[in-house]
Amino acid sequence: MKHLNYFIVVLLLAIAGCKPKPAAPDAGSAGIKFYDAHGVIRQIASDRHSATIQHDAIAGYMPAMTMEFPIKDTNELNGLAPSDEITFRLTVGEKEDWIEGIRFISHRIENVTNGMVMVHETMPELKTGDLLPDCELADENGDRIQFSDFRGRALAFTFFFTRCPLPDYCPRMSKNFSETRQLLLNTPDAPTNWQFLSISFDPDFDQPEMLASYAKFFRNNNPDRWRFAAASTNAIAQLAPQLDLMVVRDRTGISHNLRTVVLDPQGRIAHQFDGNEWTPQQLATALTVAAGKK
Amino acid sequence: MSQLAGSKPRNEERLFLTVTLIVALVFGTGFCFLIFSLNSREKGAGGAAGNSAPRLIAPDHPRQLIDFSLTDRSGRTVTRAELNQKILVVDFLFTSCSLTCPVVNRCLAQIQQLTTNQPDVQLVSLTVDPRDDTPEVLAKYGERFGADTNRWLLLTGDKTAIHGLIATSFLPQDLDDPFTYMPGNFSHTDRIALVDAQGNVRGYFDGLNQNTATAVVEEINRLRKGL
Repeated sequence: MKHLNYFIVVLLLAIAGCKPKPAAPDAGSAGIKFYDAHGVIRQIASDRHSATIQHDAIAGYMPAMTMEFPIKDTNELNGLAPSDEITFRLTVGEKEDWIEGIRFISHRIENVTNGMVMVHETMPELKTGDLLPDCELADENGDRIQFSDFRGRALAFTFFFTRCPLPDYCPRMSKNFSETRQLLLNTPDAPTNWQFLSISFDPDFDQPEMLASYAKFFRNNNPDRWRFAAASTNAIAQLAPQLDLMVVRDRTGISHNLRTVVLDPQGRIAHQFDGNEWTPQQLATALTVAAGKK
Repeated sequence: MSQLAGSKPRNEERLFLTVTLIVALVFGTGFCFLIFSLNSREKGAGGAAGNSAPRLIAPDHPRQLIDFSLTDRSGRTVTRAELNQKILVVDFLFTSCSLTCPVVNRCLAQIQQLTTNQPDVQLVSLTVDPRDDTPEVLAKYGERFGADTNRWLLLTGDKTAIHGLIATSFLPQDLDDPFTYMPGNFSHTDRIALVDAQGNVRGYFDGLNQNTATAVVEEINRLRKGL
């Protein structure tokens, strides 16, 4: 069936006169040609009808260079700024050319030493006091949740995956969460506006049912203020640079480091625990302090 | 055909059979070869690990070792100057990486052993996770692989500096890599880089291939001969 579909697609494309992945240029109507391109915005004109872009080689048209391109629809530039990495389509007609279909990829942080260093990241690493940008997760009930759902509470979250085989890693994080929660529940004068959230970075495997059964084990049948969820690959890609999280998949599993974060009731980073050597008591203290922040 | 038909048609028949056989052989061999080469191509594309002969992978663009100042596991500052005129074997790690990094570092340990009496060869491990991988953590990690403190540097430091070095001198950054999520978005962290005595990145070997240590040593020998 899959082959048949593919066959039909190929056939349709062949009839339409183009290839599945068209090599530039893509011939349009009335002699207009389209070229897919990639680059970094260097400057945006004040009337927003042009932008200077440092672009890679445009196959079949021009080598890599920095140049100004006209833009017909100024809305294309909404939300964009210099140093943004973009993809776009260069449209070349008989008498004019312009760019369109501008798509944001990342904001580049460029760091030039020795004239050649360039590290770019999607998002900068967050520090204590920074607001964590929101991000959608799928929880154990199959509901879409986000960090902002927990505003008003101090939120402790960590990362794991249910198949994680190393006792020092994910199971240790879950055990620590369990003990920390118990500490807070057993302390008579402890605040009550706190929440735990365990986030899996294995969304394909850690479907709601899987998360629910894993949760049952570590929560000891008491779901009070401890939720389990999975982050999509997009969400992980967004969170990793911000939280200095590393997740590397290969055929046999996932390698990762450990990051446990405490947000205050406004969603700002109050405390970060790296690695696995922190104690439930330390986390309980951090949550108590964060819960009292205005 | 019967015997009554005489010898002439028989010869024709024989000729026909021979031609058919040759054609069948040629096509058959060709077909088998096609299947075989498709098969091996699949294997080559499908996996890095295994016993196939590792080959030198060229850098995506000319890359050179840039100036840097980082900290070794001993707490000592190490700069590029210290590595001038040395052939470098470089890998990339984070100590909490449980799958690929130990395999790659066992390979580096093998290379250390194979180059015992070659003082011009220097092994270098760069952590991509300097927040976790302090000099103390790296010291413990080095011991695990029998890293000789004189021959194998395990370097950490300021994140911007170490990521800048990796990005400029060694690894491509791929924001769309579906297998790797980390600050810096580095790809191919399981490769071992070889740098010549002039600081040019010669190329990379697959750090997960069990024959890589021997291949690296052979490449070092070629480098010395100016090949």
